[in-house]
Amino acid sequence: MLTLKKISKKLGDFHINDIDLEISEGTYYVLLGRSGSGKTQLLELIAGLNRPDSGEIWLDSEDITKKRIQDRSIGLVFQDYAIFPNMTVFGNIAYSISSGRVDRTIVKERVRKVATDLNISHLLGRSTHHLSGGELQRVALARTLITSPRLLLLDEPMASIDASLKDDIKRLLRRLNSQGLTIIHVTHDYREAVSLATMVGVIHNGRIIQEGKPDDVFRKPVNKFVARYSGIRNFFRVEFKNENGEWKAVCNDKLIFNLSENSYPREGLLILRSDDIQISHKMPSFTTGNCFKGIVREILPSEYGMEIAVDAGETFYVDISANTFKQHPLSELSEVWISFSPEAGIALPGNN
Amino acid sequence: MNRYGPFNWILLLLSSMVLLFLVAPLLGLFIHTGVSEFFETANDKEVQESIWLTVWVSFLATFFFAIAAVPFAWLLARKSFPLKSVVQGIIDLPVVLPHTAAGIALLGFISRDGLLGKAASTVGLNLVNNPAGIALAMAFVSLPFLINSARDGFAAVPERLEKAALNLGASRSRVFFTISLPLAWRSIITGFVMMFARGMSEFGAVVIIAYHPMIAPVLIYDRFSSFGLSYARPAAVLFIVVALVVFTILRLLSERRKPIVTKSENADS
Repeated sequence: MLTLKKISKKLGDFHINDIDLEISEGTYYVLLGRSGSGKTQLLELIAGLNRPDSGEIWLDSEDITKKRIQDRSIGLVFQDYAIFPNMTVFGNIAYSISSGRVDRTIVKERVRKVATDLNISHLLGRSTHHLSGGELQRVALARTLITSPRLLLLDEPMASIDASLKDDIKRLLRRLNSQGLTIIHVTHDYREAVSLATMVGVIHNGRIIQEGKPDDVFRKPVNKFVARYSGIRNFFRVEFKNENGEWKAVCNDKLIFNLSENSYPREGLLILRSDDIQISHKMPSFTTGNCFKGIVREILPSEYGMEIAVDAGETFYVDISANTFKQHPLSELSEVWISFSPEAGIALPGNN
Repeated sequence: MNRYGPFNWILLLLSSMVLLFLVAPLLGLFIHTGVSEFFETANDKEVQESIWLTVWVSFLATFFFAIAAVPFAWLLARKSFPLKSVVQGIIDLPVVLPHTAAGIALLGFISRDGLLGKAASTVGLNLVNNPAGIALAMAFVSLPFLINSARDGFAAVPERLEKAALNLGASRSRVFFTISLPLAWRSIITGFVMMFARGMSEFGAVVIIAYHPMIAPVLIYDRFSSFGLSYARPAAVLFIVVALVVFTILRLLSERRKPIVTKSENADS
């Protein structure tokens, strides 16, 4: 288990502040944050590239705060891979075990095994100069995995690779994690967290502002920042009112949303995930509580299919699949109905 | 229509003048040296010995000082320490000192009364008028070239590569020899060639430490002051030819290495 206790570090004008973190063995922990949020700095502190100003880092009941980088057994894959350009792919992968203490035949065997696992055995004799981003990343992973690290740290592993390769890398990382390897993966892309994480932490300005299982974090973000980070685009400033025991949210005296929880703050934000909203040409015969007529203002392709902006007094962003769009085409300025269940609305109290 | 504006013509003129200034004296030297005089001098044992002495003493001075200077350059590139800028200033000092003054300063250090001279004399070595003293004089004035070039070379090696190697469990010394040194090699070789070249051409400091045995620059000066220009010229030409051949070979060797590339040159695929 990795435990960070009140870790602080000043780096120029930037601070990492009192970070407490517990990551149990076998966890795939995704640390989400914008660039400059402190996520890479935190990884470097865990790996030992930098020392914290205060706080402690424990790994499996051992205080490693002052342990040297080379003695930590924590593998770090750098964002730009940090492949040694003066060595071949084989030389890079064999680097940690080829200092003379391990028999040459064993070195070759181990390199071949890890290269086969990562599907790069055909690259072993090659120079690293003309490898693609995906190949470089696999070499960097192989070079780290051959050390059998107790913990694997990945700094933006998907940042420099083509979208078509991301699924392969994700499958590979999932497999490594399912074999028991604890992974900490930092990224700015919440979709990586959704598809990989067993635990998620959101870091902002050097602080972890929310942590938990992906579903909890993305379904119940603690503030607008985390909500935005989870891909939510529908934010409505509302007043929450209890009418005859039923909670409603009133937005600009124009829209009234039916809600499902038992208690709400006086005012705040009501947020809705784009994929929780249904859209149709006709008024739905069976509505689940919230139904509004609106006009399509914009249709944009998105990674899910299409993103439709509907003006129903306020702008709602609705995601529909490409197939649905094909079957029920929409055009700009057409009249539509949008609906969503009372459970879909998430309340964020205050002015955040 | 004129393809070049007046500014480009002025640039071309000024550049040509500078080039001509550099090339003309050397060209004159070669033109005024007859082929027979050249080969006669090339067969002169004293000249041969002098050039050989210059080459090997400068090479050994560079080689042995590089053993300490290269790690020192890494330290300057990677570490921050108090008074670092003062240390950097001290390294550059020999470049700005008049070389005869440097020779006199060094003489005080290596003569029998000096600190190093006393130590050397305990093992029966007199550094004055000795190739070892010449090597020290050459190194004193030329070390900045090696240190500064190697320091720049180490600074250009991404520190992440060293940290990645440490993260893979390598010791500091292994990282130095397998990552830092091979990646900074080109700059180190350039510095080595510069120091070697500067050492070979040194006159002012060496002539104070050792008139004899004569290195080539001292021999050329000796022939010029004793017998005149025409007698010194073939020796000068021969020395220039030898120096050019040696430096060209070393340059070619150093340029065979590729620059540092850490990321893919290709688009992701």
